[in-house]
Amino acid sequence: MTNHWIDLKNADAILAIGCNPAENHPISFKWIEEALDKGAKLIAVDPRFTRTASKADVYAQLRPGTDIAFLGGLINYALQKGMFHEEYVREYTNAAFIVNDSYDFQDGMFNSFDEKEKSYDPKSWGYALDASGNPRRDPSLKDPKCVFQLMKKHYSRYDVDKVCSITGTRKEDFLKVAEAYCATGRAGKAGTILYAMGITQSTHGSQNVRATALLQLLLGNIGIAGGGVNALRGESNVQGSTDYGLLFHLLPGYLKSPEFDNVDLKAYKEKWTPKTKDAKSANWWGNTPKYITSLLKGWYGDNATAENDFCYDYLPKRSGNYGYVKILEKMGKGGIEGLVCMGMNPAVGGPDSGKAREALGKLKWLVTADLWETETSIFWKRPGVDPKQIQTEVFMLPAASSVEKEGSISNSGRWTQWRYAAIKPIADSRSDLWILDQFHKRVKNLYATKGGVFPEPITRLAWNYGNGEEADVHLVAREINGYFTKDTTIKDKDKTLEFKKGDQVPMFKYLQDDGSTVSGCWIYCGSFTNEGNQMARRDQSDPTGLGMYPKWAWAWPVNRRIIYNRASVKPNGEPFDPTRKVIAWDPLEKKWKGDVPDGPWPPMTDAKEGKYPFIMVPEGHGRLYALDLKDGPFPEHYEPMESPALNNLSKVQNNPVVAVPKNVSSDTKKFPYVGTTYRVTEHWQAGAMTRSLPWLVELVPDMFVEISETLARHKGIVNGDTVTVTTERGSISAKALVTSRLKPFEVEGKHIEQVGMPWHFGYAGMATGDSGNVLTPSVGCANTGIPEFKAFLCNIEKGGKRA
Amino acid sequence: MNAGGSYENTKAFLIDTTKCTGCRGCQVACKQWNQLEGEKTHFFSGEGYQNPPQMSEYTFTRVKFKDYKKNGQNEFAFYKEMCMHCNEPACASVCPVGALKKTAEGPVVYEADKCIGCRFCMMACPFGVPKYEWSKAFPLVRKCTGCYSRIKNGLHPACATACPTAITYGTRAEMIKEAENRIKNRPQRYYPKIYGQHEAGGTGVLYLTHQPLDELGFKPVTSRPLPSYTWQALRMVPGIFLTVGGSLSALSWFTHRKERIKREEEMLGKGRSPEAEAHEDREERP
Amino acid sequence: MTAAKIIINEIKGYHRFLQAMIVLVGLGVLASAVRFIFGLGATTHLNDTYPWGLWISFDVVTAVPLAAGAFTIGVVAHVFHIKKLEPLVRPAIITGFLGYSLVCIGLLLDLGQPQRGWHTLVYWNLHSPMFEVSMCVMAYTTVLTLEFLHPVCERFGWHVPLRLLRNLEVPFAVLAASISSLHQSSLGTFFLIAVDKLHNLWYNPLLPLLFILSAIFTGLSIIIFEATLVHRYLRQPDETELLQTLTKIIPWFLGLYLVVKLYALAYLSHGPRFDRPGLTALFLLEMVGGVVVPMVIFSLKRTRTDSSLQLRAATLVLAGLILNRFNVSMFGMIQKNQEIYFPSVIESLVTLGIIAAHILFFVLISKYFPVFEHHPETVDYAIPDRFHKIEGSEEGDKTVKA
Ligand SMILES: Nc1nc2c(c(=O)[nH]1)N[C@H]1C(S)=C(S)[C@@H](COP(=O)(O)OP(=O)(O)OC[C@H]3O[C@@H](n4cnc5c(=O)[nH]c(N)nc54)[C@H](O)[C@@H]3O)O[C@H]1N2
Ligand SMILES: Nc1nc2c(c(=O)[nH]1)N[C@H]1C(S)=C(S)[C@@H](COP(=O)(O)OP(=O)(O)OC[C@H]3O[C@@H](n4cnc5c(=O)[nH]c(N)nc54)[C@H](O)[C@@H]3O)O[C@H]1N2
Ligand code: SF4
Ligand code: SF4
Ligand code: SF4
Ligand code: SF4
Ligand code: SF4
Ligand SMILES: [Mo]
Repeated sequence: MTNHWIDLKNADAILAIGCNPAENHPISFKWIEEALDKGAKLIAVDPRFTRTASKADVYAQLRPGTDIAFLGGLINYALQKGMFHEEYVREYTNAAFIVNDSYDFQDGMFNSFDEKEKSYDPKSWGYALDASGNPRRDPSLKDPKCVFQLMKKHYSRYDVDKVCSITGTRKEDFLKVAEAYCATGRAGKAGTILYAMGITQSTHGSQNVRATALLQLLLGNIGIAGGGVNALRGESNVQGSTDYGLLFHLLPGYLKSPEFDNVDLKAYKEKWTPKTKDAKSANWWGNTPKYITSLLKGWYGDNATAENDFCYDYLPKRSGNYGYVKILEKMGKGGIEGLVCMGMNPAVGGPDSGKAREALGKLKWLVTADLWETETSIFWKRPGVDPKQIQTEVFMLPAASSVEKEGSISNSGRWTQWRYAAIKPIADSRSDLWILDQFHKRVKNLYATKGGVFPEPITRLAWNYGNGEEADVHLVAREINGYFTKDTTIKDKDKTLEFKKGDQVPMFKYLQDDGSTVSGCWIYCGSFTNEGNQMARRDQSDPTGLGMYPKWAWAWPVNRRIIYNRASVKPNGEPFDPTRKVIAWDPLEKKWKGDVPDGPWPPMTDAKEGKYPFIMVPEGHGRLYALDLKDGPFPEHYEPMESPALNNLSKVQNNPVVAVPKNVSSDTKKFPYVGTTYRVTEHWQAGAMTRSLPWLVELVPDMFVEISETLARHKGIVNGDTVTVTTERGSISAKALVTSRLKPFEVEGKHIEQVGMPWHFGYAGMATGDSGNVLTPSVGCANTGIPEFKAFLCNIEKGGKRA
Repeated sequence: MNAGGSYENTKAFLIDTTKCTGCRGCQVACKQWNQLEGEKTHFFSGEGYQNPPQMSEYTFTRVKFKDYKKNGQNEFAFYKEMCMHCNEPACASVCPVGALKKTAEGPVVYEADKCIGCRFCMMACPFGVPKYEWSKAFPLVRKCTGCYSRIKNGLHPACATACPTAITYGTRAEMIKEAENRIKNRPQRYYPKIYGQHEAGGTGVLYLTHQPLDELGFKPVTSRPLPSYTWQALRMVPGIFLTVGGSLSALSWFTHRKERIKREEEMLGKGRSPEAEAHEDREERP
Repeated sequence: MTAAKIIINEIKGYHRFLQAMIVLVGLGVLASAVRFIFGLGATTHLNDTYPWGLWISFDVVTAVPLAAGAFTIGVVAHVFHIKKLEPLVRPAIITGFLGYSLVCIGLLLDLGQPQRGWHTLVYWNLHSPMFEVSMCVMAYTTVLTLEFLHPVCERFGWHVPLRLLRNLEVPFAVLAASISSLHQSSLGTFFLIAVDKLHNLWYNPLLPLLFILSAIFTGLSIIIFEATLVHRYLRQPDETELLQTLTKIIPWFLGLYLVVKLYALAYLSHGPRFDRPGLTALFLLEMVGGVVVPMVIFSLKRTRTDSSLQLRAATLVLAGLILNRFNVSMFGMIQKNQEIYFPSVIESLVTLGIIAAHILFFVLISKYFPVFEHHPETVDYAIPDRFHKIEGSEEGDKTVKA
């Protein structure tokens, strides 16, 4: 989230697209309702009439996988009707930037596509530079090669009729959405976009998100109160897990993990430290060397010295994709010996789970650390298999639940809140920290006693978390924040600051690249200072009245509650919206008031020190036009991998940079209906957490699929019947819930039915049922690899599964 | 009972169904706080995802789902049913042993130790709230307690605490004012009536809705306190007793007079056997 | 011979009808045991929608007015001092005594916590009609028990209590009538709380009055019913002549009931009355079959002397009353679209057992105790010279047979 949960109450319009907050983020509705009470409009865009839709002022139905068409339509609407925030677009986005001549877009394809590699060369989309090496700009936005004009041209193809023929949305509904939402495209109006899995779980998921960002930039909605691009994140601490780099391509704090050709620290810094020649650009990632060095110091402590590149050599280097889909592919081929599943249940949660379950049987050993016996931990005795045929050795480690241990949780709004253990772990269960600590100690010991090929990355780790039975979580938190490794003097503008060895680093601008500071995750620098654990703060004061509660817990970065907040003011520092001042420049005191600003510099108009607001990109401007995505600088509509329709915008059917996998089929004769998966309030994810709880099982006891009244009539299915749903991957049985809340789409004159289902069921736990993921295709987003869970083709028949 | 008193300062729930997302956090929180068993259910028992089929000995509160259409548009409405904590509860008035009673704080509570299990409360409750432990050989009644033990300790009820959006808890006067304000501020959102303000003589649970109440399944209930219906008859009990007893006594005194006089005469006179007397009577038969 | 053998032999000598009753009672007892072992839910079709079923509707709400014979005839015979009717009193008291005892048993089965029945005596809720009814039923059962001691004392020749009881006859009759008028009417008060549940055909504020009125004519009718059957099947004296008096009283009460009912329906009920054909049919059946027709029959001169007409009219009244009590306590409570309640086998067996027990005990009591033989003039209430039995019971019997 650029903003935070409470900030939803400040919005004038809330566009919930590809998310269902009423059901999946119920607490968010507390704030949404507050906005509605003040007259805000709630807009829900979803294939189904959800519990969120039931609260919305405007509901628009769209066919799964067609969000770019829909959002492109909104972008076009705003541009055509002039309903965008002109000053904002001109000053704060890259609309005025001129793109080099090689950029081209023809019939669904951008320039520089390599047929064989199925990839573009994003460099070919760069800006045209002036003599000093800065991008050329046309503030009048008239230059045909400027981003604004290119964008206008690109989206002019997304007219209302075209859009509706693709998305299946009723035209009047689309227009209602467009009017209501684009009305926020001016100063003094705030619109927020909420999105989640309906947007990301797609072969063009990142571009879906980009489309929301584009719209928000156009409408001037980023950085302001009640605005923003707000991902409603999923697992309770998934924000924390990404912040701490639990992804193959990232290190903590969104530092890139080294690639195979980043042979030493210098090469790494070279590759991942962006540069700019523009003095007005803060280019914050320019600090990458300080952050990577402090991280390495954290990991290898005294062993990390300037001489040995701070042990950079010990980091694994990647070549290619190590995402979930790839791992499972490799596992299926017997290419992986062991797997540790810590708080994850791939036998239910991953796509094409039939294949995943088979793949687990190819492992030599499997460790699950979980609160429950999950489908993954008993995959070897799942229905229909002979345990004797499976050789995998399975270890189940009982994990302590979140209420049984102390630590921090980071929510979607980047607030990291310290929590205490409410009870002792039951029986033999242990905290994940304990489990990891033991892993470390025992593996280290094995290396020490038995040796190994390359033991140093483990044996030389610094592990200074006390001598208790369990690692001291406060020491972990202190290291994450970072501390000085020696007495240090830092000159900051007119001040000189003295730090002692062991002092906590107060904020990340004091991190160093010479080994004098440690920081386990630079963005969390400031969370645990000499003043104490900032995450444990519980002060309920709200000086701005905007619900930012600056002394409640702590938000990264530097306790900033709304990021890019420098875009909420005019270039001279006056708020666009004087009634909702996130920050405001006080010219007398020469300082910012309100939220922690995005950098301490004076407003942009200050000739000497003023900076652009989008400090995380080298050009300092919000990107309407992207330079680093694999599938193009502008989001372009493609059909999902399995689709009942042909692409009506170009002849390119699917995202060209995504390889078509084997297990998909677009044979609409065999699989005429659109399948989609989603959550229900009553169950959690792969179901271990909720299908073992009688109170929740009572609410939703069986696997079910939702179908429209027309499809039910057509197939002779009545509510409560057992039905079989089949895709190219497999088939499942479920109860049919016939409802008018699901409706067929009219797409290019064709009547397209949908089959919706939760994916929470499996064969372990109290309430069992077939898994929706037996049906889903193992194909992911071009940029992130997130699987396309939301749109596939299926068939449905009355009656139980054929044996 | 707070007989005839004012209920302004008793605690009340304001349940704004227009803000209810049907998340059923309240339903689960109630089960957790009261440690109620999960029920064995199959598929869904009503519209939408509604479950279990009714409130029961295991379910003190339940969210009803209503799937319908208005002007061709889908609507999906939710409403939490629970004990209404009537100002003058029918259940308490009929309970022969006073096991149910209205507390000064508001909740209508149940003393299981007193209950004889006659189920009159179930018959009497206009909202169908009290439920019975049908599974047991010696069953008791069960119903929402208004989380009396919580509010006695300064907490709000479990359901009200869990609810992200729809439930407000406070004094009845405040809740009515709040409800009136909401209706006034957003007239297009609300059906202009507060269910529970007058129903059954006023209840401790007040509802705001978007659609007419009957469409959502609210029962029309008389606005007169129910106990008054029985009391108007019961209050005559001593009178009837005295009147019937008195007049019959008088009558019998009168009808037996002749006999008595005769007997007295006999006592004074010849002393006849009672049998003979009786025979005489018999002979008098027409 | 052991005691058991004696009993078995005795029973073997009974009429087949009686043996059948014994079997039914046995089944009822078994069914009751099952209820306590497996719980109410498992053994009855009661549920949260139908918290009250057959047991309350029949064993309590209907049985109480059916047992009203005792107090009505008590009033007529003792208070109005129509002495010739006294022979009718004792059987009526037996019926009442059995009726109320069985009501209590039925209630205990139906209560969730029968062992706490005494709570009503301790925890008072004056606002509860049920509190009032239970107090009355307990008091009245005590009175009936005392009255029942009459034949018992006679049977065993306990003269001192006999004399005492004899003197208490009139006060008891008055007490019985006052208590009965309270609880018979309060059974109606029960349903006054069901404001929005009980259908308007039956719901009106005069329900208690209607209940007591109907209890009166039912009480009188059941005496006719009983006496006639007893005469026919137990070869007891034909009391048609005595019953004549009752046939003169009953139509007045039926008429009064009809007037009050129609007035209440017309002026005191609210909302639609004839909106549900099923209920309307039940209502008409109850009113025409159970009130109007018997009223006409009873008013016929012929009826005074025609015992089968009396029996028919009385039967109609009883059937009408049973239907009325079911209408009020069950059928009229069924909301539109509500599933229909039907008693389970266990429930039915218990109720059948109770009815059978009533008949059985009635017959047995009249077999072993001076019930019908009792014509008060034949008993010597004088305290005997010696303080123990001077006349053996046999002698007493002799007296009667003489
Ligand atoms: N109760 C509950 N809450 C949860 C979870 C849970 O399992 N249970 N999971 C948590 C996690 S990990 C996550 S990631 C979040 C996810 O939160 P959400 O993203 O809200 O979850 P979903 O229900 O998967 O998808 C949201 C909606 O997307 C719609 N949809 C499907 N396809 C499309 C499409 O192509 N376009 C658009 N616009 N919409 C589409 C679906 O109909 C659905 O209503 O929820 C979190 N919260
Ligand atoms: N078809 C379909 N599939 C989907 C999705 C979809 O929308 N559609 N959504 C996807 C998304 S967004 C997600 S996030 C994934 C989630 O997929 P998973 O992460 O595999 O699913 P969970 O059930 O959340 O698994 C978490 C496990 O952690 C355990 N756990 C809970 N607390 C702790 C703890 O403190 N320590 C340890 N060690 N374990 C703990 C739980 O018992 C549970 O078994 O599923 C994905 N799969
Ligand atoms: S389940 Fe937890 S994290 Fe999710 S909305 Fe409820 S309180 Fe928030
Ligand atoms: S709703 Fe029913 S149970 Fe609750 S207080 Fe009122 S009468 Fe009693
Ligand atoms: S069942 Fe219990 S609480 Fe209900 S009326 Fe009877 S005694 Fe009172
Ligand atoms: S007040 Fe307490 S007992 Fe009643 S519904 Fe709410 S949580 Fe349950
Ligand atoms: S917790 Fe609140 S919002 Fe959720 S279902 Fe209950 S009343 Fe509705
Ligand atoms: Mo997620």
